[in-house]
Amino acid sequence: MKRPPIIPLILPFLFLTSPSSAAKPSPLPPLTGFTAADMPGDAGGAALLRWDSPGEAAEGAAIEVYASDTAKPGWVKIAEFPASAHPEKDMDLPFWAWRAAPGRHALAADTSSAFGRPDGSQEIEFKLRLVKGAVSSETDPVKAVINGNWFNASRLNNLVLMLTIVVVFFWTVSHAKRKGLFIRRIAGLDAIDEAIGRATEMGRPIYYSTGIGSMSMVPTIASTSILGEVARKVAQYDTSLKVPHFDPIVMTVCKEVVKQSYLEMERPDSYRDDTNFFVSQDQFSFAASVDAMIHREKPAACFFIGHFMAESLLLAEVGATTGAIQIAGTEQESQLPFFFTSCDYTLIGEELYAAGAYLSKEPMLMSTLKVQDFGKAFVMLAVVTGSVLLAAGAVFSWEPLMRIVGQLFKAY
Amino acid sequence: MIFIKKHIPLFICFFVGVLTLGSYYVPNARSENYLEMMNKWENIVAGFAFLLGLMSLFYSHFHKISRKAPGWGYSLFVYVGFLLVVVPAIVSNGQPMSLTNEMTSLGWIYRFVFTSLSGTMFAVLAFYIVSTAYRAFRIKSPQAFVLFAAAFIVILGRVPLGQMMWDGLLGWTGYQVTDVIEWLMSVPVVAGRRGIMIGIAIGGIVTALKIIFGIERQYMGKD
Amino acid sequence: MKNALEKFLKIDRRLIFLALTVLLFAPIVRPLGLPNKNLGKDVVNVYNYIENLPERSFVMLSLDYDPATRPELHPQAVALIKHALRRNLRVGIFTLNAGATGMIEDIAARIPSDIAPDKVYGRDYVIMPFQPNPVAVMTQLGINIYEIYDKDRNGNPTKDMEVMKGVKSVKDMGLGICITGTAMLDYYVAYVADKYKFPMAGGVTAVSQPGYGPYLQTGQLKGLIGGMKGAADYETLIKDLEKGTSGIDALSLAHVLVIVLIVTSNIIMLVLKYL
Repeated sequence: MKRPPIIPLILPFLFLTSPSSAAKPSPLPPLTGFTAADMPGDAGGAALLRWDSPGEAAEGAAIEVYASDTAKPGWVKIAEFPASAHPEKDMDLPFWAWRAAPGRHALAADTSSAFGRPDGSQEIEFKLRLVKGAVSSETDPVKAVINGNWFNASRLNNLVLMLTIVVVFFWTVSHAKRKGLFIRRIAGLDAIDEAIGRATEMGRPIYYSTGIGSMSMVPTIASTSILGEVARKVAQYDTSLKVPHFDPIVMTVCKEVVKQSYLEMERPDSYRDDTNFFVSQDQFSFAASVDAMIHREKPAACFFIGHFMAESLLLAEVGATTGAIQIAGTEQESQLPFFFTSCDYTLIGEELYAAGAYLSKEPMLMSTLKVQDFGKAFVMLAVVTGSVLLAAGAVFSWEPLMRIVGQLFKAY
Repeated sequence: MIFIKKHIPLFICFFVGVLTLGSYYVPNARSENYLEMMNKWENIVAGFAFLLGLMSLFYSHFHKISRKAPGWGYSLFVYVGFLLVVVPAIVSNGQPMSLTNEMTSLGWIYRFVFTSLSGTMFAVLAFYIVSTAYRAFRIKSPQAFVLFAAAFIVILGRVPLGQMMWDGLLGWTGYQVTDVIEWLMSVPVVAGRRGIMIGIAIGGIVTALKIIFGIERQYMGKD
Repeated sequence: MKNALEKFLKIDRRLIFLALTVLLFAPIVRPLGLPNKNLGKDVVNVYNYIENLPERSFVMLSLDYDPATRPELHPQAVALIKHALRRNLRVGIFTLNAGATGMIEDIAARIPSDIAPDKVYGRDYVIMPFQPNPVAVMTQLGINIYEIYDKDRNGNPTKDMEVMKGVKSVKDMGLGICITGTAMLDYYVAYVADKYKFPMAGGVTAVSQPGYGPYLQTGQLKGLIGGMKGAADYETLIKDLEKGTSGIDALSLAHVLVIVLIVTSNIIMLVLKYL
């Protein structure tokens, strides 16, 4: 019996299994719906790229983003991420500035790293490449003109709130009454008269420190207002006042404030130019110097009002050991405990800002305190309402509500 | 004269204030450049103002020395200290280390004088805190008791010895002192801090608006 | 007895200072070797973040503290640099505080000698010069750092350094850490971390630590090292005990003294009330 021909029988199988005739990997479907536009509400140097979801065929694939400046052509890879990343609903923009379409992806592509950020507009081409192993597919290039925008729509909630506060501010100022507005008693400010009276009786000086803040800081500005009131009373009683300074600019402003106070009380002869003097712009050198002065001169009253950091306890403790009556106030919560324990009276946070109105009793200044109350009432209402809505959203799984409330109160 | 001394400064304050406030909502590069320019101007003014402060310092201490006012010896030391640092700084060309990696005279002054003195002043705080704590944590009311209890737990739990003491006395409760401290720091402390921060922020906004719109004019001096 | 108790209540503060001095000095002369077991969660978060960074990631270390806060913050800086360099990460040392330059010189001298002798300047780490005007610097950090840091502190161009390869702004960095005794960390969170979505951690003094609770809760800070205890915790994590740990014994005894004093004063007050 003749043996069957093996080689002719094997050959077809070999042919079918050879690499050249192996089943070719199925090509990746190209990404569709690709658009590129300027990223809204930014300073330039970013583009908004959007495309349709690649679907299940692209599972395990990656997307590469390429960009080319039309002025200087040459493709540069600017981003790479998994194909399933960046669905439109994950875009970090609020609902009033962004409408996420289902089944679409979006990316804020940063071009500043590759092409810089010129002052004018830039025309840049973009293309996406879908890559899975050795297979890839590319979209057609799309151009976009990138430039800086004039309004950041994400901050609209902040703008509305700010404008509301300004409107309330003007309303309260225009309705400033001659008759006094009720303000609750602030012990620290009432004690200023007592402190100055004590210093006058004992014939010892008063020390007033505006802290280590610069003139651009709000607590320092508030402190200069209080210094003006203190200087008026000091001028009236002819007591000695000393104001050591950390910042030369604050010293210059305080010189004018104190001089003004003496002039208003018609005591220009009592004013001395060295009432305000510069000490040092180093925190602990300032503290050491002022401590030494307080220790030697043993003032009857010490005022520590403004921006203080670690030197607060150094100053307050030395003042306490000399037996001075001490009134302090700062916006730094970390320093408040030190002032509380060492000083007779402490102004907490916003009491510092109300001091100018409280002491001068000027109707316009006092009416602006209503704005602070309005602000606080709004915050309290927002906290309660927001918490209730978020809790309801969590309990009843109302995701849109939770998203809206979260975005409404977020700072973008 | 009033126009120069009152109206122009008020207008500058209003214009710059509104522009800076608006720049928060304008993301354009021009807005960023404006903010950067303002920061640079602030630095330049601060640099010149420092000269002003230095002159004021020397002037006031010179007067004390010439009048032989009480404590005039300390005023003499202002000049000595100034020269002690400025001369080495000029000689060393502002470099704390030379090109051959050796400490210059400025580096020596910085390391063995300035660093030591600054550290000493900061260390003095530790002593003051202890004596203040001895006075402050006295239970005179229910609120003071709460303060005492919180302070006691935090002081105990922050160091290994305190943690060992807690484990020995209260370990049977199953709660580590660090767990209690974490709750204290995450819940009541943060809540209190946020409340104060909100009040301060609102007060700051109103004060800033008062200055921008010219209602608060103390800083300008005589009208 | 009543008089004695009242006298104790009004004890001269100098005696308290003396007791504290003795208790702080003794463990320095004779260390107690107390174990540091309970590590802070926020410190562990910083450690884990650095551990999970890919090799050769760039870490920006902004040292913004002055000599006064050196005992608390310098050990943190040294521990972080050791960890980052031993993980084969690239480290950029920046400063926005003129007072920190001396401490940076100290670190610069230590890196080739004992911190990481196998690391090469310019390849594994770089030290940038002090720059004033923090806000302007932070804005540029997010756009193009070479606009401000075109040269290192020795005057060498930075753009072509191997350590700066692929780094143009904070968006190309793995992590930023600011060690400061001032409010500089708040500025970094506002102007860099939030603005450019850049992961940021911090190292602060113990007194400032509670104030950063809100940032940690919202994830604006990935972790926080607080005070000397934080430095000791970090040294325990990297298994390299140094100045942070050596101060813990003294810190422990000081805390115990405070507790003894406040408990004693309250007991005396109670006794006097009923006497």
